[in-house]
Amino acid sequence: MPVDNHDHDHQDRFEERLGEALHQAGGAYETDRRALVAAGETRGHRLLLRRRAAVVAGVASVALVGLGGALLVPGGDDGRQSVATGAKTPVASATPKASYTGDELIGILEKLLPRGEFSSPQARGTDDRLPPYAQVVHDDGKGKAAVAVGFDRVLPGSEQARQTVECPDKVLTPYDGCVVSRLSDGSALRIFQGYEYPDRRADTKLWTADLVTPKGQHVSVSEWNAAAEKGAPVSRAEPPLSPARLRTLATAAAWLGVVDAIPVDPKAPTAAPAQPSGIDGGAIASTLVSLLPKGVKVVARSGPDSGYAYVVVDDGKGRSLVQINVQPNMSDVEDQLFGAGAETLADGTKVVTHKEPGEKGGAGVVMWTADTLRTDGFRVVVSAFNSGSQETAATRDAPALTTKQLRAIALSAKWRGLG
Amino acid sequence: MRQVRGDDYAEFAAARAGHLYRSACLLTGGDTHLAEDLVQETLGRLYVRWYRVSRVGNPAGYAQTVLTRTFLAHQRRRSSRERATDEFPDLPDPRAADTDTPLRLTLVEALGRLSAKDRAVVVLRYWEDRSVEETAEAMNVSSAAVRTRCTRALARLRLLLGDALGEHARH
Repeated sequence: MPVDNHDHDHQDRFEERLGEALHQAGGAYETDRRALVAAGETRGHRLLLRRRAAVVAGVASVALVGLGGALLVPGGDDGRQSVATGAKTPVASATPKASYTGDELIGILEKLLPRGEFSSPQARGTDDRLPPYAQVVHDDGKGKAAVAVGFDRVLPGSEQARQTVECPDKVLTPYDGCVVSRLSDGSALRIFQGYEYPDRRADTKLWTADLVTPKGQHVSVSEWNAAAEKGAPVSRAEPPLSPARLRTLATAAAWLGVVDAIPVDPKAPTAAPAQPSGIDGGAIASTLVSLLPKGVKVVARSGPDSGYAYVVVDDGKGRSLVQINVQPNMSDVEDQLFGAGAETLADGTKVVTHKEPGEKGGAGVVMWTADTLRTDGFRVVVSAFNSGSQETAATRDAPALTTKQLRAIALSAKWRGLG
Repeated sequence: MRQVRGDDYAEFAAARAGHLYRSACLLTGGDTHLAEDLVQETLGRLYVRWYRVSRVGNPAGYAQTVLTRTFLAHQRRRSSRERATDEFPDLPDPRAADTDTPLRLTLVEALGRLSAKDRAVVVLRYWEDRSVEETAEAMNVSSAAVRTRCTRALARLRLLLGDALGEHARH
């Protein structure tokens, strides 16, 4: 790759420099590998013992072998696996729908594309654990080009749904064209004409069409002016489908049936949380401050980070970090968070408190936590430390708040007002 | 049933532990304690499944996938977020080699300000050099979601890092 030191190039080479910088930064971390390997093996032994115990207890421990890197999905930290295809339920019975094999998806894609030669088909059907897609190399006589279509669901009204059909900031992501249109059925369609590498280290163009319907069906068509996304030379000046044709392909009626055939994950939220992008951190910090006991002075607080906030308080005995996470839709990890010691309140809310060493290595730091989960998966977890930060040594014997006070903060009805 | 986890597991673990640890340090935004924990967990899981893992074409890639998922699962469960501190540490980690410390701190601090998933995308794409589709598989999400995250993460890093990256990369 040619090295160009001109100033204007600095901007365009950001991704390349990031890669180099990551390798420099990552390469500087060293540890005692032998100790790490030994500890890993010890954990492996422990996991095996636990698994055998589980098998003896009659719990089937199924390991599915798939392809490539996608097999044997690790589950929680107790060694359980989320079993691949079994983790999804069939489509809701009210709306029975077909499934599509990878070959069928390729057939539909080839039918919808202009005439030409097709090669190198790749696809994944709707019964796979991963989202379905189909990709072919299409040659209309003017050069081979990869064309792909992928499917998934986004939560209507969610941050992800919004971002999928939003044009990126042109200052930060160079591109040649981006148009978002609203269709008559309320769907949003983004036609994007950009580059495989936004820093233009190669001239591969990537044009995409993303359709998001009001129901959250997402169809994403991508095309390149090369026979592959990466690693293939540019074969033509532009990808084969014009923006108008891209639009026609992305909005083809056949695709919505494919999205509907993706098995519904029973644990996936079905409605966007009231605050789609997470609850505003500034509001969380303000609420946290309002719930602090009297006599505690706030000396620092966090910014508008979504879902999370912290304050540093001082009760006259030194600084104490208090941090809080407010997270909707956390029911799926209930078992891992609320074990045998958990308390269940009359309204079904689970509560557990912990006193444990800090997580970040500040000498002598302890972390006291109250973790709560409402029946709808709304989690509020608040921790206090005996230091102003987790990474600096303890500055006092105990955190400024007791576990009882933390519990009261986490259980406050005020959090509901935010969510 | 006895599974053979002999020399080849030990050899693999010894060869990959360093790389996994460095990946984990980037994933965790420089939290070396958590990084060690994640690598131990990853190696433990590989140990349990070594019989099958050793028969896939790319156990190193598989190990990285396990690490990424272990990290994301941990992030989701944990009660706090990394960088939950009122100030960034201003001392280099004594266990890190004494090279490029300013760059490492700047970059790792910037990484630490991304969400866990955005960070995972950056690490997989630009440290592991995986394609969008491979990144999507490792993270169990769609390619479109990876692209969205990647665009957002790069924009954020560009703002956070400014010219710092250019100066260091030129060394």
